[in-house]
Amino acid sequence: MTRFNTITPASTAVAAARATDVVKSFGTGPTAVVALDHVDVELQRGEFTAIMGPSGSGKSTLMHCLAGLDTVTSGSVAIGDVELRGLSDKKMTALRRDRIGFVFQSFNLVPTLTALENITLPMAIAGRRPDTAWLTTVIDTLGLRDRLSHRPSELSGGQQQRVAVGRALAGRPEIVFGDEPTGNLDSRASGEVLRILRESVDRLGQTVVIVTHEPHAAGYADRVLFLADGRIVDELRSPTAETVLDTMKGLES
Amino acid sequence: MTDTLAKPLSRRPMRTVSLRNLRAHKVRLALTVISVLLGTAFVAGSFVFTDTLKKSFDTIFASSDEGLDVRVTDYGDYSTGVPLSLLPVLQKVPGVRAVEPQIDSDVVLVDDSGKKVSTGGAPSVGGAWVANGRIRDVPKLVDGRAPQHPGEVVVNDGAAKKYHLSAGERIRVVVPNEAVTDATVVGIYRVSFDTGGYLGALFSRDQAMSLFTDGSHYTAVDMAAESGVSEKTLAARVEKVLPAGLEAKTGTQVRDDNSAGVSEALGFITYILLGFGIVALLVGTFIIYNTFSMIVAQRQRELALLRAIGADRRQVRRSVVFEAFVIGVIGSLLGLAGGLGLAYGLHALLDSLDMGLPSGGLVLTARTVVISVLLGTIVTVFAASAPARRAGRIAPVAAMREEFASASAASLRRRTAIGIVVGAAAAVAAVAGALADKTSSAASLTGLGLVGVCAAAMLLSPVFARWVIYPLGRVVGRPFGMVGQLARTNAVRNPRRTAATAFALTLGLVLVTGIAVVGASMKASINKMFSENVSADYVLSTDAGVAVPVAAAQAARTVPGVQSVTEIHELLAKVDGKARWGAAIDGPLGSVLRVRMEEGAIDTSGRKMIVSRKIATERHWTVGTRHTFAVPGVTAMTLTVTGIYKNDDLLGPWAVSGDIYRALTPKNEWSDDVALVRAAGGTDLGAIRAGLEKATNDFYVVDVRNRTEFKGMVAGQIDGLIALLYGLLGLAIVIAILGVINTQALSVIERRREIGMLRAVGMQRKQVRRMVYVESLLIAVFGATLGVGVGLAFGSLFARTLRGAGMSTLSVPWGQAVLFLVLAAAVGVLAALWPGFRAARTPPLSAIAGA
Repeated sequence: MTRFNTITPASTAVAAARATDVVKSFGTGPTAVVALDHVDVELQRGEFTAIMGPSGSGKSTLMHCLAGLDTVTSGSVAIGDVELRGLSDKKMTALRRDRIGFVFQSFNLVPTLTALENITLPMAIAGRRPDTAWLTTVIDTLGLRDRLSHRPSELSGGQQQRVAVGRALAGRPEIVFGDEPTGNLDSRASGEVLRILRESVDRLGQTVVIVTHEPHAAGYADRVLFLADGRIVDELRSPTAETVLDTMKGLES
Repeated sequence: MTDTLAKPLSRRPMRTVSLRNLRAHKVRLALTVISVLLGTAFVAGSFVFTDTLKKSFDTIFASSDEGLDVRVTDYGDYSTGVPLSLLPVLQKVPGVRAVEPQIDSDVVLVDDSGKKVSTGGAPSVGGAWVANGRIRDVPKLVDGRAPQHPGEVVVNDGAAKKYHLSAGERIRVVVPNEAVTDATVVGIYRVSFDTGGYLGALFSRDQAMSLFTDGSHYTAVDMAAESGVSEKTLAARVEKVLPAGLEAKTGTQVRDDNSAGVSEALGFITYILLGFGIVALLVGTFIIYNTFSMIVAQRQRELALLRAIGADRRQVRRSVVFEAFVIGVIGSLLGLAGGLGLAYGLHALLDSLDMGLPSGGLVLTARTVVISVLLGTIVTVFAASAPARRAGRIAPVAAMREEFASASAASLRRRTAIGIVVGAAAAVAAVAGALADKTSSAASLTGLGLVGVCAAAMLLSPVFARWVIYPLGRVVGRPFGMVGQLARTNAVRNPRRTAATAFALTLGLVLVTGIAVVGASMKASINKMFSENVSADYVLSTDAGVAVPVAAAQAARTVPGVQSVTEIHELLAKVDGKARWGAAIDGPLGSVLRVRMEEGAIDTSGRKMIVSRKIATERHWTVGTRHTFAVPGVTAMTLTVTGIYKNDDLLGPWAVSGDIYRALTPKNEWSDDVALVRAAGGTDLGAIRAGLEKATNDFYVVDVRNRTEFKGMVAGQIDGLIALLYGLLGLAIVIAILGVINTQALSVIERRREIGMLRAVGMQRKQVRRMVYVESLLIAVFGATLGVGVGLAFGSLFARTLRGAGMSTLSVPWGQAVLFLVLAAAVGVLAALWPGFRAARTPPLSAIAGA
């Protein structure tokens, strides 16, 4: 696969996101559940990373912590050079708005807004005008040009998720997180969404992290992290669906 | 474990599910319970209040008229009294044990510091001290001695305490015809039937006769029968010896009449309170409907699951109805308690205003309990029936679906069509009513139109919501950018819900605005009437229970610079056999009142009269026709119509001379309703005023007002009435606010995931709060706009239907209307404070399914 980076990160020395010795536990006392058990991870710029693992492995929790949606019990998390621990809700919100993009499993669009309005929502919330040239690039990549004035209810599941991807990319975030972004889609639509994410990494230089339990989806990534019982247990570079599946089989046995 | 297994879900699983649901959602149902509570509290309160008063009054009547078998009195409102000469005749009626003449009259007391004793609405009555009563218990002296000589008076202990009167105090008594009499309080007495604020001043019999009667009549004569003679028998015997104009009532009749009088007076209060209770319940209906609609929508998956595992439609529907039933019963029981509190509070309030209310324990009848609980429960179940039906229609497969569609457009179309038809018909009825001639039928037709238009407004408001909220949202939301846009689209996202939420406010504001228009028009009409028709420089009148003493008008005539004083008396007479109130005039009329003659001339001298166009048309009177004026038992005379004037609310149907008034009215009743003073040209008005005040000062009760002040006083009375209505309608507004809080709170819960997503993609807490505030503001202003619009229209129509009753000018209080809208906006934001706070706390992780 050829790399065509239109954007070169300012400094390759700083990772796009980093978790250091992260512990996340829910509840206290004897009923406490440790979801993340001293996890260290570094996500490189311009890379497509997939986080995999069985149910309850802590893969979603890891992503939530990395994305500033959830707080960690101990350890530190940074987006770029910004340490997330101790940030006020206001600063954290602004950080999510300006530097992070999200794609959720259920498409999570505002039903009363059009596709275009949904795509530009984070910028509108910030009171900024979108960069028209960039927006055109994103929309063309998504293939949504003729659907922009439609409401979510008038779009198919795949189209809705493409709008959600558009919303994540439109603000040129430093990193895009996807929480099972293809979990609600059929295989054709799911392939489309993954190709777009891949393209955003290859053509637009985007950093993308997804959580998935589908080996097929992980096959689109540059790097796959395997979690089990709250720890990173394995890692694959340049995976294919087959190698991912093999690794998972190995973990289960 | 085996115990648990032996007792599975219970034999009524659906009921258990309903009850668990209620328990799980206490907070969101609390507001629904409150809205049921407020409505039923007013209904129950109105019953308790009137039952309590009625019982207290009945007790008083029973004790004050105990032992009374027959009372001889004059008919109706005529105040001729019973001639003294009749007393020996009555004593000779076979079977009479005792005869006791009664004397009483309204009086005003002036204490030793020269201050008028104001009893508020309570009676202030003068009478005679009965030393050796043989019919009923005599009042007991608790201090001092009984009045024996002229100038001595005893007062009841309740009043003595309340108004700081004590034995030995020098007071003055103002009575209508005698003007002012000096007296000394020589004793304090106690009666069993004292009411709050009541003042009784008893004189020696001789002085009471000269003060309160014309010297030849008693107010009434009470009689007791010998044992073995029934009151009916005695009344029949007495009736035979009575001259025309008098009647003999049995003791039972007297008590019944008193009781009926109280019921009638209380009936007004009952109806007003009941009316507001029903408005409150009606407004509550929308809140209950909304709550249940939203609960059903939120529980759609759960209900579908119940269907999927085998519950049939009816069971699902009934489980929702059962929840409503439980809420209805709880709400109305609490409302019943609230009603008791309300009645107690109202009684305490009126008591502190000296309305002359008796005290007594609250009366809670079975009827009150049954009506309040039934009404509250039925309203709740009714309001929840549509959402319950919707719940029953949920398909079992919905349990497997992710997202749900809301109301279909088709049913909204039918609703809109019905709304247009109802609205058009109601508008026609309303306008027809406004154009109709007869005031009573016009008002009822317009009232019918109002109900119809309100129904149509309710049906059409989902459509109106879009029309109003979209443009309004653009303006209001602009400064907030995307947050404003989201608020705007959220506000019309579920038009039915928005409509039902806003309509509670609409209903309250229709009434408030309508009353504002009618009140403003009433003030403007009175203002105009005074400005156009009254040319007097000063008006003498009283605020007390006693009219202007004739002597006060005489004194005013002697003030230098006064050109003329015109006295207007009220006269009740049977004219051609039909009793009617009219005016009697002493002094020049044309110079103080502008009477517009349509035929003939102003001439009320001798046995001539002028009449209004209205009564002339009604009774086919023309200039030159002759009519008998009679007061039963006094005299009758024939008067000739000399002129017909344009309908005039100051004069009423007819005007005659003061001589006729004096011929038909006992001397002790002579007084002026008002006296109109005209200053001589070129004199200093300020000096005349000072002179008038000095001249009337000795009468204590007389107020001197110029035209502006008099208008202001009348306007003040109207304002007081409007303020009372506003206060009561405030309740409907409070319920409407609860409704907005409820809807916003529930819709925030419903949109939890969406709000979580907005937080995840970077919406600040502040922005989330703002979004909820603006949304709520838009809904409130929409409801208010609709309400103010309908209120203005119907207030105007009602003002027009009342034009026959003196409402000549239509005045639309635009400023007030704008104020209502601004207040509604504030209320909207206020109602969203808590929901907004909750929404802002939504964690971003809520965006993720299952979190």
